[in-house]
Amino acid sequence: MLEVSHVSKVYPTPRGPLSILEDVSLSLSPGDAAAITGPSGSGKSTLLYLLGALEPPTSGTITLGGQNPFALSPAEVAEFRNQQIGFVFQDHCLLPQCSVLENVLVPTLVSHPAASSDRQGSGGTDRDRARQLIERVGLSPRMEHRPAELSGGEKQRVAIARALILQPRLILCDEPTGNLDPETASTVSALLLELHRQQQTILIVVTHNAALAAQFPVRLELRAKHLLPCQHP
Amino acid sequence: MTSWRLVWRSVIYYWRTNLAIVLGVATAVAVLAGALLVGYSVRASLADLVNRRLGSTDAIVASPLFFRERLAEHLTADERFQSVFRAAVPLVVAEGVVTAQESGRRASRIKVYGVDERFWRFHGVTPVSLDDREVAVSEALAREIQVQPNAAVLVRVQRPSDIPLESLHGRKDDVGRTLRLTTRRILDVSALGEFSLDAQQGEVTAAFIPLDRLQEALEVGDRANTILVARADRGTAPNDIGVTGDSILRDAVEPEDVGLTIRPSDDGREVIVNGAAGLLDDQRAAAVRASSQTGSARREVFTYLANTLHVGEHQVPYSLVTGLDLSTLGAGVAVGASANGIPPIVLNAWAAKELSAQTGDALSMEYYLWQDQGQLVTKTADFRVAGIVPIEAGNRDLAPSYPGISDATNLADWDPPFPLELRRVRPVDEAYWDDHGTTPKAFVAIETAKQLWASRYGSVTAIRIGRSADEPIEQAVNRVRSGLRTAITPATFGLAVRDIRGQNLSASQGATDFGEYFIYFSFFLVVSALVLVVLFFRLGVEQRIREVGLLRATGLSPGAIRRLFVTEGVLLAAVGSALGLGGAVAYAAGLIKALTTWWVDAVGTTELSLHVSLPMLLAGAVGGVLAAVVCIWWTLRGLRRVSERSLLAGDLAAAVGPSPTTRYTRMAAVGLATLGVVLTILAGVKMLAPAAGFFGAGASLLASALIAAGIALQRPARRDISGHGWMPVMHLAARQAAHRPGRTVLTMAVLACATFILVTVDAFRREGHSGTYERSGGTGGYQLMVRTSLPMVHDPTSEAGREELNLLSLDPSTTLEPLRIRPGDDTSCLNLYQPKNPRIAAPRDEFLREGRFTFQSSLATTDEEEANPWLLLNRVEPDGAIPVIGDANSMTYVLHRSVGDEFELDNGGTPVRLRFVAALSDSIFQSEVLMSSANFRRLFPDQPGYQMLLVQAAGDLQKVAADIEQGLGDTEADAFDTGQYLASFHRVENTYLMTFQTLGGLGLLLGTVGLATVLLRNVLERRRELALLSAVGYRRLHFVVMAAAENLLVVLGGLGAGAICAAIAIAPALAERGGRLPLSTGALLLLGSVFVVAMLSSLAAMAAATRSPLLDALRSE
Repeated sequence: MLEVSHVSKVYPTPRGPLSILEDVSLSLSPGDAAAITGPSGSGKSTLLYLLGALEPPTSGTITLGGQNPFALSPAEVAEFRNQQIGFVFQDHCLLPQCSVLENVLVPTLVSHPAASSDRQGSGGTDRDRARQLIERVGLSPRMEHRPAELSGGEKQRVAIARALILQPRLILCDEPTGNLDPETASTVSALLLELHRQQQTILIVVTHNAALAAQFPVRLELRAKHLLPCQHP
Repeated sequence: MTSWRLVWRSVIYYWRTNLAIVLGVATAVAVLAGALLVGYSVRASLADLVNRRLGSTDAIVASPLFFRERLAEHLTADERFQSVFRAAVPLVVAEGVVTAQESGRRASRIKVYGVDERFWRFHGVTPVSLDDREVAVSEALAREIQVQPNAAVLVRVQRPSDIPLESLHGRKDDVGRTLRLTTRRILDVSALGEFSLDAQQGEVTAAFIPLDRLQEALEVGDRANTILVARADRGTAPNDIGVTGDSILRDAVEPEDVGLTIRPSDDGREVIVNGAAGLLDDQRAAAVRASSQTGSARREVFTYLANTLHVGEHQVPYSLVTGLDLSTLGAGVAVGASANGIPPIVLNAWAAKELSAQTGDALSMEYYLWQDQGQLVTKTADFRVAGIVPIEAGNRDLAPSYPGISDATNLADWDPPFPLELRRVRPVDEAYWDDHGTTPKAFVAIETAKQLWASRYGSVTAIRIGRSADEPIEQAVNRVRSGLRTAITPATFGLAVRDIRGQNLSASQGATDFGEYFIYFSFFLVVSALVLVVLFFRLGVEQRIREVGLLRATGLSPGAIRRLFVTEGVLLAAVGSALGLGGAVAYAAGLIKALTTWWVDAVGTTELSLHVSLPMLLAGAVGGVLAAVVCIWWTLRGLRRVSERSLLAGDLAAAVGPSPTTRYTRMAAVGLATLGVVLTILAGVKMLAPAAGFFGAGASLLASALIAAGIALQRPARRDISGHGWMPVMHLAARQAAHRPGRTVLTMAVLACATFILVTVDAFRREGHSGTYERSGGTGGYQLMVRTSLPMVHDPTSEAGREELNLLSLDPSTTLEPLRIRPGDDTSCLNLYQPKNPRIAAPRDEFLREGRFTFQSSLATTDEEEANPWLLLNRVEPDGAIPVIGDANSMTYVLHRSVGDEFELDNGGTPVRLRFVAALSDSIFQSEVLMSSANFRRLFPDQPGYQMLLVQAAGDLQKVAADIEQGLGDTEADAFDTGQYLASFHRVENTYLMTFQTLGGLGLLLGTVGLATVLLRNVLERRRELALLSAVGYRRLHFVVMAAAENLLVVLGGLGAGAICAAIAIAPALAERGGRLPLSTGALLLLGSVFVVAMLSSLAAMAAATRSPLLDALRSE
């Protein structure tokens, strides 16, 4: 369960505090999928970073599975992110020096071996899981390829597989189809939703793309620093 | 918008990267031009020293014999002289030892000049007025023996002798003269205190003594041995002033100037030509024969002292016996040898009576002979009395003038330089001496005389030239004189004009090209700077890869874009080189300062100063700019292969990544490695010069290692990165190092070159003396070397010789090995000038047979020669070249000769070809060239005695040294430890190596800057990746470990490649030097510093990259 309660975010600037988010509250359960839209500068990415424990809120609380990551030490926050959250960015952020398989395995390298054992019960070793995920995203023939040898859509599919490798509770996507053509974007979004459904994760996507947002059962909009139900169909 | 404007805008916009490129080029230019300036400055400083020390002297007339002082006046009176020269002044030049009387401080090898007021006037300096008890000394000499004006000093110089020391009549116990003088003045440079005819960079220790005082002490009358000559106009085109001078000299020289005396015989019937030395050597005899070929009767005579003439029981002591054409003695003399080969002897009536001899009687003669090794032996010869002639058949003037004999009033007053038993002299002998003086008592055939008594100093004592009855004797004397003047070529007797300024200036061009050396020493610094230029230019291009794509997309061809970048690069290089010129002057000034302070051991003088030369600066600038432009072109060469799409997408790997590994790349790596190993082996088995082997193998192996590193980095990963914990994280870091193989290999290259240089330079470092004296080592097993200022003419290996030399206090088992020395230029690295006239040393044959020392190479062809290359010195070369042996270091670095090469030595006007037949390995003979004693005596008959001793001491070394110095006090001996002496050469070598290491260290510093830059750039480029890793749970510690691991790979790769290649390349040298492992504490410290600095750089780069919030890099908005 993701619980966001009265969260606000204010950045200090030389010209005084700059408020980005005010009194944002949200509650999502495993299997929920939400799309957050809003104009540029509305604070979509900031909210995503707060949810991803990448930045602390100025006020309010965020818990995932009942755990408040911001109460943890920096090392514990890192482990929390590693185990509980998967990220997909607009610019896929693949490591160019690593193959597709290795890119998917990157989060597992620093994960706790015990957690890996737990996961083994559900789908073999991390390596096996990575192969399955790659197969699932349709890139088996490209397993040993480097990112430079992939198209934009393929790279994003690798990023999705990487986000899912540690079976996180929460998947956060920042404009996952922002750099893709409509057809590829549609394929990637379908894949994302399908995998989410299979794994029963909480999926949150921030996007400008109305077509993508329309595919999500929960649609929210950031407007005037507040998170509101989306008024558009 | 024009292309130029675009280039200019780019230069300004990317000023940070461009500034780094400009600084890189500036460094390369500064180092290159600076090194050239150092070479130029050393040469110019040495030339300055020559000009300063010669004063007004341009040429000299010098001779091994003293000549008439008035020869200078005769020269200046010649019209041809006046057209080329302006002045000539005679002086006496000698070498001596000066001792401060009060303190006893002593300085040897002092230049002692006998000068008068003409000398100072000649040089245009204020005359130093000295009375005949006064001396002026140079500042360096005053400093060395710590004397002030009015202090008493003792000046000891070798006494020149017309009669060779190593002949029977040479005065061996009286080789020097000591003058007690008061120091009148201490002469500084402006007062010509540094006057020197030698090209040498060390301080000049000189003493100036009134000419007539020195002439009196040396007993040379009004004779001198040097004339200084000044050119009329030094600015005119240089012609061969030696040739011009020699032709003038030839007309001015009298026979007396080359050691010949002419006088009428007592009976007025002949003109007698004697040698001043008592003997006429072959050259002088040939000149006399040549001068009298026009029909005059000519008799050659050889008069010698017989200790005893025996006939049966009867004997006559101390008789002069003359060898001549026996048929000239008159009728009744049977001149032929008897049937059994016994030669004839003719007695005068007095001797026949005293010996009761009759014609046909057997006669035996005892006489002394001085052997070349320094021993006096008594010989016996048998004769048959062939006739008896009246006393008047001989004359007193058949005997040459022998001081101590011919000038004695009584026989009992004889004072010859050999033992006499005066008790054997009877009253009748005294009566004969009173009545007939030196008139010979017996005559032998001239051929017999030559056979018995001839030596390297001559085979006749006089040539007597007859006259016709109607020719007055005075006219005959003039005729002979005139004939001799025509026949004499002064240069063949060593009396020649030498263009001393030209020779010394030529020598100042140096044995050691410091410009070249400092380019070698600074090579790594230049490479580092150029690698930085490449790195920064590459980074600049990478930064602008999209711009390249855009230009390509807008229609510019790859060539046009490359030209734009090259133009930009040339512009930056030009600015960098302009900055570098200023840096060059500063760099050269710094190096010159270092050479005269910290590294003074390498040059042995503090007299070097910076000389700026525009051509040198320009050469350095052009070199630096060319190198930079080539580097830039090389960086850009790959751009044309890349598609516009990749460029526009900013795909760095595709745009500027390395060429894919091909079969040829792999073949190149294997080929170069094989070549390196082969070259090492060839050098090891001495089929290749060590330097060529070392540098060839080093370069091949390093290139191979770096290509191999590039291949390894580009090779597809064999194992996926997976697992948990630190290992896969480090594996990820290693993969990052492989992601930019170009940068990684370049960085490795800098580190590998640095390591290679540090390791190899350290391997060549010579140890100080270990205290052991191995027969096969550099000391040859001798613990002491003794140098004497005056020659020893007795054989120190015999008991009699030791007695004569006051060395009986030495333990008999102490071995003394004497060597003959011909003074000349030091051939060791201690001499910066190019030796034109190397010092020659000649050991005895016994020494050669001992086979001491170790040889680096030789021309040995037989097993015996292979086992002992010293034997090659006695080889007779078919083309007449003289075999010599040199030290390998001196041959390579100072004389620039290899085994088999020749060196032409000017032996008093006669060229002598010396051929190097072997090279000693790191020996105490670095200052001289060695030849056989036989060749030495033949070539340099005027060089008397021994002036070097090698001592294998039994007992306490200090005591042996003290005993030798005391015993050989008259010869002013200095005994020193051979180990320390060898170490003094090693100090020079080590100083060069230290210079190399220091400049290498500077390069390393520059390389580390490059390394840090690459690291920072790598990390900054990867901020988004790091942010992603951070987002998926990587902690700061993970990043630190990744940075350290990546860097460790690069650093260890570089250090390892450098160290392994160095170890292989220096293997032959290591084996030769006893397998000493390289790497001193200093070098290890430097390598350790590289490691630490590199690791810290990586951490600093990572810290800098992660200081700002990483996550900003992830934001899409």
